[in-house]
Amino acid sequence: MSGRGEGAWRWLREHAVQIVGVLVVLYMLIPIAVIFGFSFNDPAGRYNFTWVGFTLDHWSNAFGIPELNEALVTSLKLAVLATVIATVIGTLMAMALVRYEFFGRRAANFLIVIPMATPEVVMGSALLSFFLLLGTFNLGFETLLIAHVMFCISFVVVVVRSRLIGFDRNLEEAAKDLGASPFQTFRLVTLPLIMPGIFGAAMLAFALSIDDFVISNFNSGTTVTFPLYIFGAAQRGIPVEVNVIAMILFFFTCATMGFATWQQRRAEKMTSVRPEQESTIAVPAGAPAAT
Amino acid sequence: MASQKDPRRITALVAVLVAAVVLAFGLAACGGGDSGINGGDTEAEEVKLEKKATGDITISNWPLYIDKQTVPDFEKETGLSVKYIEDVNSNEEFFAKMDPLLKQGESGGRSLFVVTDWMANKMHELGYLQNFDKSALPNFEKNLVANLKEPSYDPKREFSAPWQSGMTGIIVRTDLAPDVKSICDLFDPKYKGKVEMLNELRDTVPLVMKCLGIDPTNASEADWMKAIDKIKSASESGQIRRFTGNDYGADLTSGNAVAVIGWSGDAVQLQADNPNIEWRMPTEGCILWSDNMVIPVGAPNPTAAEEWINYVYEPQNEAQIEAYVNYVSPVEGVKEILLKEEPEIAKNQLIFPSKSFTKNCTIQPSPSGEEEQNLNRAFNAVLNG
Amino acid sequence: MRRRVAPYFLLGPGAAWLLLFFVVPLYYLAELSLNAGVFGSYHFDWHWANYSDALSLYDTQFERSFIYAGLATLFALLLAYPLAYTIAFKAGRWRNLFLFAVVAPFFTTYLIRTLAWETILSDQSPVVSVLDAVGLAPEGHVLATGGAVIAGLTYNFLPFMVLPIYASLERIDVRLIEAGKDLYASASQTFFRVTLPLSAPGVVAGTLLTFIPASGDYVNAQFLGSASNQMIGNVIQSLYLKQSDYPAAAALSFVLMAAILILVLIYIRFAGSEALMGEEAV
Repeated sequence: MSGRGEGAWRWLREHAVQIVGVLVVLYMLIPIAVIFGFSFNDPAGRYNFTWVGFTLDHWSNAFGIPELNEALVTSLKLAVLATVIATVIGTLMAMALVRYEFFGRRAANFLIVIPMATPEVVMGSALLSFFLLLGTFNLGFETLLIAHVMFCISFVVVVVRSRLIGFDRNLEEAAKDLGASPFQTFRLVTLPLIMPGIFGAAMLAFALSIDDFVISNFNSGTTVTFPLYIFGAAQRGIPVEVNVIAMILFFFTCATMGFATWQQRRAEKMTSVRPEQESTIAVPAGAPAAT
Repeated sequence: MASQKDPRRITALVAVLVAAVVLAFGLAACGGGDSGINGGDTEAEEVKLEKKATGDITISNWPLYIDKQTVPDFEKETGLSVKYIEDVNSNEEFFAKMDPLLKQGESGGRSLFVVTDWMANKMHELGYLQNFDKSALPNFEKNLVANLKEPSYDPKREFSAPWQSGMTGIIVRTDLAPDVKSICDLFDPKYKGKVEMLNELRDTVPLVMKCLGIDPTNASEADWMKAIDKIKSASESGQIRRFTGNDYGADLTSGNAVAVIGWSGDAVQLQADNPNIEWRMPTEGCILWSDNMVIPVGAPNPTAAEEWINYVYEPQNEAQIEAYVNYVSPVEGVKEILLKEEPEIAKNQLIFPSKSFTKNCTIQPSPSGEEEQNLNRAFNAVLNG
Repeated sequence: MRRRVAPYFLLGPGAAWLLLFFVVPLYYLAELSLNAGVFGSYHFDWHWANYSDALSLYDTQFERSFIYAGLATLFALLLAYPLAYTIAFKAGRWRNLFLFAVVAPFFTTYLIRTLAWETILSDQSPVVSVLDAVGLAPEGHVLATGGAVIAGLTYNFLPFMVLPIYASLERIDVRLIEAGKDLYASASQTFFRVTLPLSAPGVVAGTLLTFIPASGDYVNAQFLGSASNQMIGNVIQSLYLKQSDYPAAAALSFVLMAAILILVLIYIRFAGSEALMGEEAV
């Protein structure tokens, strides 16, 4: 009797960290479970806050609200464009910072860090006053794109940079010795090797962009993004379709990440250039830790 | 690792994406107005070609302030194409967003938007609004209800056309707060932490003035401050749970709040969620207001905006809106139509209030100038604790 | 020669973007913060009073913001460390799944998640009854209290804490920990003498990435708090978007930024790392 109790106690003690870890993960997923659950709710009126009854109506009619669809499409377009631009120019910046010693490097580093240390309200309002003063931009999609690229760049640089630091320069040297031009070296050696970092950075940029409310709220003009739609709707009752679309986005991301991981595993098995385990899943903010 | 993939494909992909970006920018630059790149334009173009419409209009309104059918019906009847956006969540926030544009004579692409009386007045004083061409608005001339024809700020209705009117009073959960009947009851310690008030200076403070026995119509700055102080101490003691916009509806439904200061039309819609939710005319009376359609300076296609106003002032069209929105309709003849089609709505005192029902009510007062700034500062200090 | 120009070419587009759309706007904001006058007639006048007003009128909200953000950062650290440790060392083949679960909330929209907490913590919910029973809800409700705001901040910024810690734990050579086990008597000693110091850069980065956005946040306070729980972000938002008092809003923004920078610098000095600057320290 007591022996078994002791055994269980010991098991608990030995696995304490894992148990806490799993509990924290569950905690992180609670709201998602709630959002998922309430996407099947059948509220009597406008408020999807209390459970009334089960229905699949909102799933079968997920895109039944034109304004919501438009907001979603705007957000997706914006996120894709902002991700592409920020990832491209951010990667270039990271290359410059890691590979070269040059005058102004510290200043450049500072320029990249400062936006991350600036609260969103400050950035949003500063940009708004700038756009207004300038007068050449119509507040709307363009200004949103500018703003989103702006706050994504720093994160891209930081993630890609961490990947570049762990990079084996000998591979590039080898390519050069074999007669590759600098551009060929970049394309054939460097880029494929830092691709996981770039992918991670792009994922993070996409997540930051599609989720942004504060800065967008200042600079949106008449354009309504998905978060802005939700904010407006929160005033008068969020339609269940919002939950459905949030979950669709969620599952879509699940699938993308799962696919990327699977691809990578396969690639690793086939090439095993570097046998060490790497994760495709973005370790976004992880990079500043790259000391 | 991705070294497996053909790197040339990646490069090509990046090139294509960059090209796409450049192209998008180019298009945006050519498109001019910010509505140009928001999607759905190709369809709009086609419609334009087919029906020889007089153009597009963009309408800004508050969320859930229209049924789903009216805009398509209007488009079908007039051949205009409407971009209807629900981006007005509060008069102040909307003003803050629009002011810098309007100052430069631009409306951000909007041909018409909807703001409350005091905001319409403020914008008019700043020269931000256009006068209507009344000859284009026969329905408006004919069907506007009598008691809204001569508001003090626009006695000839030259620049503002009511969209909906409403009453600010109290909304209660009859099962949880059966005995709240007046504004003063909201300060009853029995309901500590379960009371909410609107974050609107001109709704909340005048009602609390009424509780204090002050007539809001002729109140001095000191009177306003007195009421603000009362609200402040109630907030600090935890009596008032929080200040809200329309989101009090969620708290009432879930039972987080049992009695709130709220708007009449909301209550009608909220009853669908929970039959225990009820709007009550405070024993002290209510606040009366209207939200108005206005045409800003720099509005593209103001003629089309006028066509819209004229359209909603057709009782049959308005009845369709009214059946969904449930505020007080400013259009004559709607009640008669709804009596036939939806008698429940036509008989509701909150939607078609009688004179005796609103006898203690006050038209929403609106401080201005320096007084407004002081009161705003004081009230916002309460809101931000 | 080419090597000398190359970095500037690479840096160019990004640096230009940040200069034009971050630094220049900040300059205009600075100018705006020194404007005098009332709405409609703001004009530049070296009006430093905006700054003294910002400090004297809103000191409560400043204090509150930093306390809330500080507590949220602390709680996030306490939750994140065991999780990051589990992922790095114990998860095995479940590692990607765990990592995914950490990143996943990012993709369901900040606002919807916060509103989901509103549902979970509403007065009638079983969670609140339990909290009430154990004395954690002294006012009888959880929503509209400081606790709810702190909980919301903790939740929303938790991934920013987990990921850097995980990244630095994952880099640790397991042999070092093995050696530690041989050297020190207990697991806890090994942890405190080997693992924790080696993961310090991640902890520093995580705390900064949590604390900075949390102290400027206004969404959590707006949805989960009462009037007495509003943070400095709410004041800035209200001054800017409701009261149209742009100079005051701008001044307050700068005070907030300066305060955060000072706190961060002090913290980095203490933490003894240039984590924010990335590998620059090395």
